[in-house]
Amino acid sequence: MGRRRRGVDRTPGAGSGALPEAIAALSRALSAGPSPETFRRAKFDRPEAAPALWQLLFRVLSPTTQAGAKASQGPEAQVRFVKAALRCQGYPRPALAQLPEDGSQGSRELLLALAWLLARGPLLEQLLARTRVRLGDEMTVCECEDVAYDGASVGLPALCVEPNLHVDIRHVQWLMGKLRLRWRNLVSSQQEQCALLSKVHLYTRGCHSERSLGHLSATETELLRDPDGSRQLLQALEQENARLEAAVQWRRRELIFWQWMDTVLDSCPTQAPGAAPQPMFLPRITDRGPRQWGLVAGELQALQEQLQAAARPRRAAWEAQVRGRSQDPAWSTTWRAVRQAVDLELVALQGAWDRSGTPAQPHGPHRLVRSESGALAGRGLWAAEAIRALRSKEACLEVALRQLQGQCRQELARLVGTLSGFIWIPPPGR
Amino acid sequence: MLPADCSRRLLAELRGALDACAERQRQLERSLRVSRRLLRAWEPVGSPTAEPTLGPDTQKEELSPGTPSPQDLKELELLTQALEKAVRVRKGISKAGAGNKAPLPKSGSIVTPATTAPLQLRAPGRAGSHASETKAPRGICQTKAPAKGHPQHKPLSSGDRTSQERASRTTGPGLGLRDQATAPPAAQPAPEAFTLKEKGNLLQLPAAFRKAASQNSRLWAQMSSTETSDSAGATATAKAQFLQKMQVASGLCGPRLSAAEMEAEVRRLQKACWLLRLRMQEEVAAAPTDWKQELRCLLTLEGLQAMVGQCLHRLQELQAEQQLGPWPVGLPPRSLSPCGEEDPSWGPRLLLYSSTQELQTLAALRLRVAMLSQQVHLEKVLMAELLPLVSARGPQGLPGLPLCRAVHSLLCDAGERFPTILRDEPTG
Repeated sequence: MGRRRRGVDRTPGAGSGALPEAIAALSRALSAGPSPETFRRAKFDRPEAAPALWQLLFRVLSPTTQAGAKASQGPEAQVRFVKAALRCQGYPRPALAQLPEDGSQGSRELLLALAWLLARGPLLEQLLARTRVRLGDEMTVCECEDVAYDGASVGLPALCVEPNLHVDIRHVQWLMGKLRLRWRNLVSSQQEQCALLSKVHLYTRGCHSERSLGHLSATETELLRDPDGSRQLLQALEQENARLEAAVQWRRRELIFWQWMDTVLDSCPTQAPGAAPQPMFLPRITDRGPRQWGLVAGELQALQEQLQAAARPRRAAWEAQVRGRSQDPAWSTTWRAVRQAVDLELVALQGAWDRSGTPAQPHGPHRLVRSESGALAGRGLWAAEAIRALRSKEACLEVALRQLQGQCRQELARLVGTLSGFIWIPPPGR
Repeated sequence: MLPADCSRRLLAELRGALDACAERQRQLERSLRVSRRLLRAWEPVGSPTAEPTLGPDTQKEELSPGTPSPQDLKELELLTQALEKAVRVRKGISKAGAGNKAPLPKSGSIVTPATTAPLQLRAPGRAGSHASETKAPRGICQTKAPAKGHPQHKPLSSGDRTSQERASRTTGPGLGLRDQATAPPAAQPAPEAFTLKEKGNLLQLPAAFRKAASQNSRLWAQMSSTETSDSAGATATAKAQFLQKMQVASGLCGPRLSAAEMEAEVRRLQKACWLLRLRMQEEVAAAPTDWKQELRCLLTLEGLQAMVGQCLHRLQELQAEQQLGPWPVGLPPRSLSPCGEEDPSWGPRLLLYSSTQELQTLAALRLRVAMLSQQVHLEKVLMAELLPLVSARGPQGLPGLPLCRAVHSLLCDAGERFPTILRDEPTG
């Protein structure tokens, strides 16, 4: 086996070393990935290649914050995690779910999974961006990180609650108050931080080697203060540069890899068509997803009932009116015109949520740069624009909240009205 | 008391919200510690310790392994003169004050060698910095071209120095003198306590770091450009073909949705529901004046109804998809593709602000939007959990009243105000 020439895998038109070089570049870009030899063994589904590939996929798929904790749980946990994560991403092949959990087999399937992840999206860029060294003081203006904050704590709290705990409504009120207080503290801390950052930027004006930035960030100033931190940062930067160079090299040689992967896929035994995918029976600890679904379903159904209640009497009234008029020719043209106008409006309305996201919204963390003169126009997002966008979002959210509260008020008034012998006085104002 | 499953769900949601807030606070605290430290006095790395007095010889040996250039010497000369003047001024003051006469004559001689020490801050022993650059890449503080800055520094420095001296005297030994066990009092020439406010614009990042940083941005720019280059066309087709083959080989009829996509769909439908509701309220509130408007109103309402039906249908399709397996253990769906990665340009993204006020407004708005969306979500959750409880208890009367009151305040006024309930006693 060892004497088999690599040339067997040679694709036409490629140099004999081009494929291993491409794979080596990929491994370097993934930071200490398996060797080209491991990849070659995986094509033939050799078991010795499996553990390295399980570990690689585990590293690639787990979020940075949890990787350390999960890694200590052992290979079975890693295998389960990889299977679940790939399912989560929509991996099509059911063969993966059937691999044994001791991590001893399945190297070819894992190789296919890795290639699938690479083909689907900019995996390398995403991985590099995840651990990207941030030299500036960063602030995000989009709301995606909010979901990340909420999602990060989702799994755990439910675990701590005993199954038969009964809670008093006053405890709920207390928790809500606590939440309000925490937000207030957060806002005041944030204001202080902004003031301090602004001062740091002001005082270090003119220092940066990059004229376009103009001043140092707190991070950069910190590394002038702290030699250890500076060393670590420099090391991290150099490591990232090495990975980036490897990624650029990989980009240049990718094509050979994909041609090779085609041969790998061909060497797989064909799946029996129509084989039912095995569902994974994992205990449901968090039901955030289904809860979200349930909320939306409830809202839509309530809305439908309200629309029915509004439309039915109007339709009846209209039918009564129309009986006398259907003979008039001018009337029918008007009717058609109105119908068309309404259809156009509704199509435009549907576009409002069908559009995939808001393209104009800038995503991701932005480096804060203080620039009074406006000399950097065109180079970045202006705070004034971001403020405008946020204000309109704030207004929308406030309207939504008021509307929900109004709904509750009506509903409660209705429910309470059935109680006799009591006078219900709602709080004044608003 | 609330029923068990309701309690569990409510507690889970509220604790999740509290934890999310706590996490943000922790991150903010970390950054605050760093920023506060930076705005106090500190020593830039590589500068001679600003203790200029005792043991100046030993310190000097550590500080300047090489010989300063002639330009530096000239600078030193000028600065020494300025310092001597400052000391003279202070002599006058201290004579009037504490009257530490004894150390004073010495202070003159101490000043000169001592000032070379703090001056290393300004005129870098360029030699010193070269020497240490050959060692580990430690950050070293250098000035900018001294010729340029110098004329301004001179008048400033004496002013700075005296004010700093006064400040250091009044605030106590503090900053510059921490290593000095026996620091001579008052006659102490200025410990060159570095504060960002006064010396911030003299800082410069170390060369090794600058090189690495510029290489980093160059490489990131290269990453985004190689993606859009034409030679990537063949690669893109190869990838698409591979994905297609994978799909076909797996035996499934259509592509499965990933968890992130499913969540995005649900959110889309949520947005649709909200927009449709708004539209409905507009139509219902409008009073049609003629039959054309009545017709329009009717057709719009029926159209909206049809759209809601479509949304419900789509939701049921998603439900069917999801039946193939529950959400995996402890795997937040968004962890795998956090935002900022959909953007193909991996280059530097800047946020430009012009004043502290603007930055604070932006940050406050940001938090307000996050808080409001959390509030809206919690409002929906509370409605779903608590309203059924109130309506279930309604017929029972009295036992439900505290609950009604609490629920009303939570749902309608965000817990800030309470309704009043009066018992209606029949008179007589």
